[in-house]
Amino acid sequence: MNLPDFQLASHLIVLLATLMLVVQLLMVTQRMLITNIRLFAVQSLFLSGIAAAVAFFHHAPHVYFMAALTLAGKVVVLPWFLKRLVRKIGIEQEMHPWINPPTAMLLCGGFTLLGYLVARPFADTGNLGSNTFGVAIALVLMGFFLMINRRRAITQVLALLCAENGLFLAAISLTTYGMPLVVELGVFFDLFIAMMVLGILVYRIRATFASIDVDRLNQLKG
Amino acid sequence: MLLVSILLLPLATGLVCLLVRSRPTLERLSLLAFAAGALLAGRLGARVIAAESVSALGGFLYADALSALVVGLTALVALVSGIYSVGYLRRDAGAGRITATQLHRYYALTPLFVFAMLLVTLANNLGVMWVAIEGTTLASVLLISFYNEKTSLEAAWKYIIIGSVGISLALFGTILTYYAALDVPGAKSESGLNWSQLVGLARQFNPHAMRLAFIMALLGYGTKAGLAPMHTWKPDAYAEAPVPAAAILAAGVLNCALYGIIRFYVLAEKCLGDHFAGNLLLGFGLASMLVATPFILVQRNYRRLLAYSSIEHAGIMATALGFGGRLGLLGAMLHMLFHAVTKPLLFFCAGNVQQHFGTPYLWKIRGAIRTMPLTSVFLLMATLAVTAVPPFSIFQSEFTVLSAGFASNHDWLAGLFVVCVVTIFAGFLHHMVQMNLGVPREETPRAVVCPWKHGAIALVAGIVVVLGVWLPSPLFQLVQRTTQIIGGAP
Repeated sequence: MNLPDFQLASHLIVLLATLMLVVQLLMVTQRMLITNIRLFAVQSLFLSGIAAAVAFFHHAPHVYFMAALTLAGKVVVLPWFLKRLVRKIGIEQEMHPWINPPTAMLLCGGFTLLGYLVARPFADTGNLGSNTFGVAIALVLMGFFLMINRRRAITQVLALLCAENGLFLAAISLTTYGMPLVVELGVFFDLFIAMMVLGILVYRIRATFASIDVDRLNQLKG
Repeated sequence: MLLVSILLLPLATGLVCLLVRSRPTLERLSLLAFAAGALLAGRLGARVIAAESVSALGGFLYADALSALVVGLTALVALVSGIYSVGYLRRDAGAGRITATQLHRYYALTPLFVFAMLLVTLANNLGVMWVAIEGTTLASVLLISFYNEKTSLEAAWKYIIIGSVGISLALFGTILTYYAALDVPGAKSESGLNWSQLVGLARQFNPHAMRLAFIMALLGYGTKAGLAPMHTWKPDAYAEAPVPAAAILAAGVLNCALYGIIRFYVLAEKCLGDHFAGNLLLGFGLASMLVATPFILVQRNYRRLLAYSSIEHAGIMATALGFGGRLGLLGAMLHMLFHAVTKPLLFFCAGNVQQHFGTPYLWKIRGAIRTMPLTSVFLLMATLAVTAVPPFSIFQSEFTVLSAGFASNHDWLAGLFVVCVVTIFAGFLHHMVQMNLGVPREETPRAVVCPWKHGAIALVAGIVVVLGVWLPSPLFQLVQRTTQIIGGAP
């Protein structure tokens, strides 16, 4: 591999990772449910782009496979499934976060700083994309934050998926080639089953409680 | 071949049960599969004692003594829960509490659930192990929401959300372990997460990454094991799931989660060598015991009481690993064995009481011994066994843990351990005596003896009594072998 290639790839990956972060911030401030699902699809598209770039510059065929899987699963199938679920149970579009968007933005800035602090000892092993580890940690943290901040069952699912995107980015940025193929496949398989199970649960919660506010799930104590 | 058949058996059963509709066929299929599974697990134990380890499919599956012990316990719990569930579900179906579809769902999901647990213990690759542990969550969620009531949906939602967050931290830990091992000379990246390869190279890992990896893995799998403060899903899930499924959760999944923690613990101790991992486990273990104690004292619901007891016992095992040393490890493994055998007894008896009285609340039930003498006697026996009263085996393991605490100069913490155990004993016994002895509140009809339910109870009770006085030497050999694996043969 010659040097300009490497620099180009490195810039491209950092750019895409930054875009993932920007999309995540948009999700934090965005109030409409359908838009959130679309933003998740866009974020996954960038992730798939990073995987493809790594695969191209390292000549690693199995990472291509992962890029394709991300593209098919997280950009096309999952958003479609979630949108269908939203339409089917006919829930209200607007979400009511606990924390108002400006404060949430500030908090997310804090998470990004924290991510870079934690990532510092790992930074720049010279591998392609290793400097995006901080972004990956920030994405995971913001995913967890979104999960706490939203009341609807379905947005908690979406937040979980965002955290998962962060983990995939971490796998790419830390280990260059991602995880062994069998693990990637397993993780994807689990993700799909999880979505199906969560879909069934959301549906039943809606049928039983006539609402998917997780606030209503408050009977079990002690 | 043996490893493959252990895994294929429940998987195939689950898939076949998806297609079968008739209840007698479903019952027979699952009983047959679990009985055969227990036999195979016994053969694996013998095989592992003879040879150090067994592997199959080009190193994809791998079993050493630690795997064999957990496989054996899982298979046993699956078998007794299978026997119990026949009587339990027939009664529920007879009372119109569940439909034929729900019954079908139970029999199809349980073997898949067991398959996921067995894959946890037999997977060589730590990544595949992660996939399998997440698989246990997914297979059991619909068992927890089984009754489709408001509370069971709430419990299931809590379980999958808390579980998924936890498990994603564990994935992070797995990625970091992979990273820690990546630059070690001699590591191959394709098999880079294989336990059999990692354990030999652990001394050369990147210590900084390994430290972070262990923290993440402990938080993640600790959530599944129900260590405080990640335990909050446990009382809900255990109280809402049908009793046999709850027994599998308490005695099977708990072991699988601890198994995952132990695998990372071995790597971390070898790599860091400063007892960092042990101290963390000690902290989480004692915290779990401390959290469980007050909740057991003031508990009003006996199904939740069992869950807090399970949190306590997970804490005891973590504490034992944290004390470390040969005694600590021996105590931890013995406790895992004895707890997994004793817990189903407690669950099954509690299930009988709940089905008879129709309430999970302690204060509504008095004098159970008058209306259901057989169950009640076994319940009292199980209470004594699980709170570590001397003739029973849990006393031995807790005593070993305590000795380990003093041997490793943790006098104060060992004292705290005793305080928790004794307080829990008092609280537990108080609740159970009030529920079982005394005069019944109102005239309740006498319970009928169900051959399936009482058969399962008698079987487990027999094992508990035998283990109290006699630990068969192959079993003890197996336990000793596991402590060598965890302690790392020098």
